[in-house]
Amino acid sequence: MTVIHPNMADESAKIRARDVCVFYGDKKAIDEVSIDISPNYVTAFIGPSGCGKSTFLRCFNRMNDTIGTAKVTGLIELDGEDIHGSRMDVVQLRARVGMVFQKPNPFPKSIYENIAYGPKIHGLAEKKADLDIVVERSLTRAGLWDEVKDRLEDSGTALSGGQQQRLCIARAIAVDPEVILMDEPASALDPIATAKIEELIDELSGRYAIVIVTHSMQQAARVSQRTAFFHLGKMVEYGPTSEIFTNPIEERTKDYITGRYG
Amino acid sequence: MSPITLILIALGLGLLGWLAGRAKAWSFASSDPALRPASRPIYHAWYVALWVVIPVLVFVVAWSVIAPQLVLQTVLTSPAADGLPVFGFERDAFLGEARAVALGQAPGVFNDEAEPLIVPFRDAFSYYNTIGILVTVLIAAAGGALAFLRLRPQFGARTRVERTVMMILLLASLVAILTTLGIFVSLVFETVRFFGMVSPIDFLFGTKWGPDTMGSPDAVDPSRYGAIPLFWGTIFIGAIIAMIVAIPLGLMSAIYLTQYADPKVRTWIKPLLELLAGVPTVVYGYFAALTLAPMIRDAAVAIGITSASTESALAAGIVMGVMIIPFVSSMADDSMAAVPGAMRDGSLAMGATKSETIRKVLFPAALPGIVAGIMLAVSRAIGETMIVVMAASPAANFTANPLEPMSTVTVQIVKLLTGEQSTDHPATLSAYALGFVLFMVTLALNFIALRVVKRFREAYE
Repeated sequence: MTVIHPNMADESAKIRARDVCVFYGDKKAIDEVSIDISPNYVTAFIGPSGCGKSTFLRCFNRMNDTIGTAKVTGLIELDGEDIHGSRMDVVQLRARVGMVFQKPNPFPKSIYENIAYGPKIHGLAEKKADLDIVVERSLTRAGLWDEVKDRLEDSGTALSGGQQQRLCIARAIAVDPEVILMDEPASALDPIATAKIEELIDELSGRYAIVIVTHSMQQAARVSQRTAFFHLGKMVEYGPTSEIFTNPIEERTKDYITGRYG
Repeated sequence: MSPITLILIALGLGLLGWLAGRAKAWSFASSDPALRPASRPIYHAWYVALWVVIPVLVFVVAWSVIAPQLVLQTVLTSPAADGLPVFGFERDAFLGEARAVALGQAPGVFNDEAEPLIVPFRDAFSYYNTIGILVTVLIAAAGGALAFLRLRPQFGARTRVERTVMMILLLASLVAILTTLGIFVSLVFETVRFFGMVSPIDFLFGTKWGPDTMGSPDAVDPSRYGAIPLFWGTIFIGAIIAMIVAIPLGLMSAIYLTQYADPKVRTWIKPLLELLAGVPTVVYGYFAALTLAPMIRDAAVAIGITSASTESALAAGIVMGVMIIPFVSSMADDSMAAVPGAMRDGSLAMGATKSETIRKVLFPAALPGIVAGIMLAVSRAIGETMIVVMAASPAANFTANPLEPMSTVTVQIVKLLTGEQSTDHPATLSAYALGFVLFMVTLALNFIALRVVKRFREAYE
């Protein structure tokens, strides 16, 4: 049974999921999860390892399609459009719903080419001058421009871990998505790099709907306005972050928040 | 008495030593329960067994060389040998016959002169066999006893056994390295002799190849040893035509297998493709010479190229390319699989299609490994012999027309070294020079390829 705090149903929801189940072969990884993701907030998914939060996140841009054994049922809508519908092209969907992964995964290309990759494949910028603008704007929004503007031709893999992750965020921004999914974006980074990423998430919120999966409850509390707690493939509780952390309704949420397990 | 018998005796004694060593080690443990021996009983057992077997093996190797000489010496000094011719073909024949009868390998002698030698041979064999067995047992016993007496509860048998195992493994790997070195040195010797007769400049840059195998070795015509047509033929067939076939087919099959194929399809197709590498090259040779070459000639004649030959470079090159496909595809397969999955996910999550992801991310990332695979394939192709011997021509033409006959370095080596030839004729020696050049080129290609692969591996670790 999922507890959803009052006033969480959102008429203007960016993403609306209803009764979503994910199976890996015979194993049910996500069990009937329904949620409305608001465009105006950062939504955090928290929960112990293996609770399915990352799996659920990967439903929103259909990355589970790339896993042969995974099967997704239920309804997921982006702006009211069924993302599994015949009218939805997965290439278009992923251009609208960007993703940042747990481990920074810049392509083994130059910093410039890393950013230009998305705009090029989607035909957003044909001329070099247009691309230059997109690259600068994306890197600036990701707070990386000043650090790399003099070495755009260096390999993206030569950057530090934190810079690589911001490069990946800039890469996601470059195609002008509506939603950015972040799968534990700071878990491979040191505290200083983590702080920068969190600051960046804060700056980006409002412009993009952001959904972040995180292991760290402090991080969820710091960056998000909405929090969903997952446990054993079910969404246990969903509500405003302040409510979830100070006044959870469910016993299991309270136990997890106070560190009794997880 | 064959060396096999001596080795079996040694192994039997080794087993005894093994059991004795273990029994003694057990007795340490049972005599004082508080004692903790430095090594487990099994190591004491192996320590004794190794001391029995290894010295014996060394002796057996030496003995199997020395014993036949000793037997022969004994027979020759016996009175029965007085009637033998002093030297020459007959003497060897008589000795050989008598020896075969004495060993029971032949029913009787053909030449009566061999008859009196049988008994001395038989006596000598049994005499030295007895000595061989006695020495074997003696060495085994001495080694075993020495080892057995050294066993103590605190004796480090484990470290010694481990060190011995390492030495044995080291020896095994040295064999391959020393063989390569030996081949190299012998090639260098003969090559230097050849270059004494024909200057390296004439050889490496001359454009006419036609060694006069019948001519006098003293009147060498260096202008007939210009190897450029051969180098060109080798490169044209092995590195150009074969690669035009192998690179696209190999890469495309690797991309299909790693990126598109259903796992079930992959488990079927991949071994089938690798089966290609297991087809004997002589079978490819048949195919090239008997099936493909006539087809190519007929096709060429049909479109009006009457000069087309049945020994065309094209047929040999195409078949060689097919043979090389598994090399290219399996290296490309490995290096694409080595690209982290996160790279692929990153590209897909950007909204790239599968083929965009492959072309723009996976393939460039895997490129160093793919290039290395291609270089290994080239080195394999230019060293390949059987296909070109059967399908290419012995005539060394210097042309870029793939329908004309062309010869390769390996074909010429085979041609020069088969049949009647004199070992110090320049034509024979030129084969070594060709082999040397081929060896250096393939060595360089392999070396560069391995370096590239190594650096590429490090990039993702």
